[in-house]
Amino acid sequence: MLETINLTKKYEDGLLAVDRLNFKVEPGEIFCMFGANGSGKTTTINLLLNFIPPTEGTALIEGIDVTKEPLRSKDYVSFVSENVMLYGNFTAFQNLDYFTKLAGKRGLTKADYAKGLKSVGLQEDAFNVRTKNYSKGMRQKLGLAIAVIKDAPNILLDEPTSGLDPKSGQEFLKLLIQMRDQGKSIFISTHDIFRAKLIADRVGFMKKGRLVIMKTRRELEGEDLTELYIQYMEERPESEPEHPK
Amino acid sequence: MLKDIIKKEIQETITSAKFVFTFLLCAILILLSVYTGIVSYHSDQKEFSAAVALNKKNLESQPSYMYLASLGTKINKPPQVLGAISSGVDEAVGRVATVNISLDPNLVDSKYESNPVFSVFGALDLTFIVKIVLSLFAILFTYDAIVGEKEKGTLKLTLSNKVPRDRLILGKVIGGFISLLIPLIIPLILSLLILLVYPNISLAGQDWIRLLLMFLMFFLYLSVFFTLGLLVSARTNKSSTSFLVLLFIWVTFVTIIPKLSVVTAARLHPIPSVHEITAKKDAFLQQIQVEYQKIAINYTKENPMKKGENVKEYQDKFKKWAEDIQQEATAKIDANNAALELDYGAKKRSQVSLAINLSRVSPASALTFSTMSLARTGLDEHDRFLASIRGYKPIFTKWANAKMMRTLDFSGAGQTAKVVLDDMPQHKFEPETLSKSLARTIPDFGLMLFLIIVFFAGAYVSFLKYDVR
Ligand SMILES: Nc1ncnc2c1ncn2[C@@H]1O[C@H](COP(=O)(O)OP(=O)(O)OP(=O)(O)O)[C@@H](O)[C@H]1O
Ligand SMILES: [Mg+2]
Repeated sequence: MLETINLTKKYEDGLLAVDRLNFKVEPGEIFCMFGANGSGKTTTINLLLNFIPPTEGTALIEGIDVTKEPLRSKDYVSFVSENVMLYGNFTAFQNLDYFTKLAGKRGLTKADYAKGLKSVGLQEDAFNVRTKNYSKGMRQKLGLAIAVIKDAPNILLDEPTSGLDPKSGQEFLKLLIQMRDQGKSIFISTHDIFRAKLIADRVGFMKKGRLVIMKTRRELEGEDLTELYIQYMEERPESEPEHPK
Repeated sequence: MLKDIIKKEIQETITSAKFVFTFLLCAILILLSVYTGIVSYHSDQKEFSAAVALNKKNLESQPSYMYLASLGTKINKPPQVLGAISSGVDEAVGRVATVNISLDPNLVDSKYESNPVFSVFGALDLTFIVKIVLSLFAILFTYDAIVGEKEKGTLKLTLSNKVPRDRLILGKVIGGFISLLIPLIIPLILSLLILLVYPNISLAGQDWIRLLLMFLMFFLYLSVFFTLGLLVSARTNKSSTSFLVLLFIWVTFVTIIPKLSVVTAARLHPIPSVHEITAKKDAFLQQIQVEYQKIAINYTKENPMKKGENVKEYQDKFKKWAEDIQQEATAKIDANNAALELDYGAKKRSQVSLAINLSRVSPASALTFSTMSLARTGLDEHDRFLASIRGYKPIFTKWANAKMMRTLDFSGAGQTAKVVLDDMPQHKFEPETLSKSLARTIPDFGLMLFLIIVFFAGAYVSFLKYDVR
């Protein structure tokens, strides 16, 4: 389970990037977070991973306060970053092997790694190629495979579909649904409304660090998500909370 | 986990093109420099033996002691075997001194004099390779150690796992250091083998210790740049910035501080010019010559041959008197020269040691000076050698004066006494002992260790607080 309680981040330059954020992602749930560029999605993920300390509030992973027990909390979370380059001199296997060992999993065979790589749709002839020769989408798949093999109960994904071709995007959605059905809590920051609508159990809109709306799958039925997004992002200046400069 | 991090660090480095390139270049440069060092030592050794033999032959062929006394004997500086690794000042300072009864001896005829182009580029000894090239490699290996992982995004990915930061930096340090050592140690071992198998080069037990200490110094010096690279890479947010900062520090350490300290020392402790000293010496020499010429003329006036005095007796008495007076005159000259040198030497030494100590804050200077001391190719050893020659001069003069005066011949046939060298005093020089050389290098070892500890601690602390995003 992922949870934030009044989570707030004010950067040193005074910018309020995340403002009293409250949400929960239950086991077996996919939560998609939308928001314009700079609305605070990546900052939220960084707070959940304790890469930056919160100004206020709490971030919990599996009920563990990430600022109090940062190391223990890491056992329960997989992270797929926006644009990971990985170790260019290593092949997919070598990268996977290293990060899997860091995740504390030992004794996995090459066959296990191959299975993980296939599950994210990476072509087999690329398994033994150095990743510096990978395309953006291929790297993203490898990053995804690392998270899949870690097999943590919570998954944080930062714009995971941005580099995927349509077929890979399709397979990626299947993979996410599969993981959700295994009972994982999945948080996705994305701009991909179309794909998100297909899988999201809940969606949230972020605007200037605030979660301005949250809707469940049922509430969204019959609604045009794109319309809603534009409506909330553009047409409601009056609902904008006061931000101290 | 630490093992995994170390293994990954080594694997990642040694599979890179950077590593292959570095390894090849290191191997070529190290082997080349050691090989050329040995070859040049070998030829120096030959040249030295030839010069010694030639000098002996030259002395023996002198027609009389008078010629011998004024021509003098040549003292050659023996080459140092470890000069093959650290040539020190040996290429720049004189290798041969002429000791005769009049002039103050000085070492002249350096390698640079015979080929001035050398002095422009300097020697390509192992110390130079380590100081310039390998230190750059150490930077090249570490400038992106931390900031590079941030740029690749792997730092975030790594720390999204249960990896304590101190473990991670430790693993990176150990792994990175091992990968830096590989291209260093293999060629070094090979060059030791060359030293072992090369004919006519024998290292005494003490030389091996000196050599190992020099290698230890190289190792510490490179560790300084390695830890410095880590520190800077843990304090910057872009690898290009890190590289520029390191390059700036490198240039400061390697060239600016040493050069600046020499200039500063010359300003703070000015010394009289060599010409001034030489002019003083010459003036005194002239003065003594005039003075004693007068005395000699007066002698014949004041001591005319008495009636009925035996000619032989009179001549012997004159010889005795002349020898004494000659010894007295040369002793005065020597004493004056020695006093001038003492004063000049003290001033020069204080300037030199100021320059050395100022520059020592740079690890590059500390490396240069310590390896020079260990190889016995430094300034101190040179000064000691020169001092031994200056100490030898009065001994030689005394012997030559006595010989010359006792064999004076008034028969008009000129001096015909054959030159016999059996009882000619020989110049002796004791090279510096290991413990003295070691004592001289202790501050340098201390500085290196200090910098390593400071830089490492700085890198460690910086990384614990590093912004990984
Ligand atoms: N280190 C920092 N110091 C100051 N401000 C920052 C810092 N990092 C991010 N910000 C600011 O915080 C705000 C939120 O950034 P964030 O990266 O969380 O946005 P995002 O929602 O992920 O955007 P995108 O969709 O473009 O990825 C932005 O206005 C950004 O400029
Ligand atoms: Mg973002």
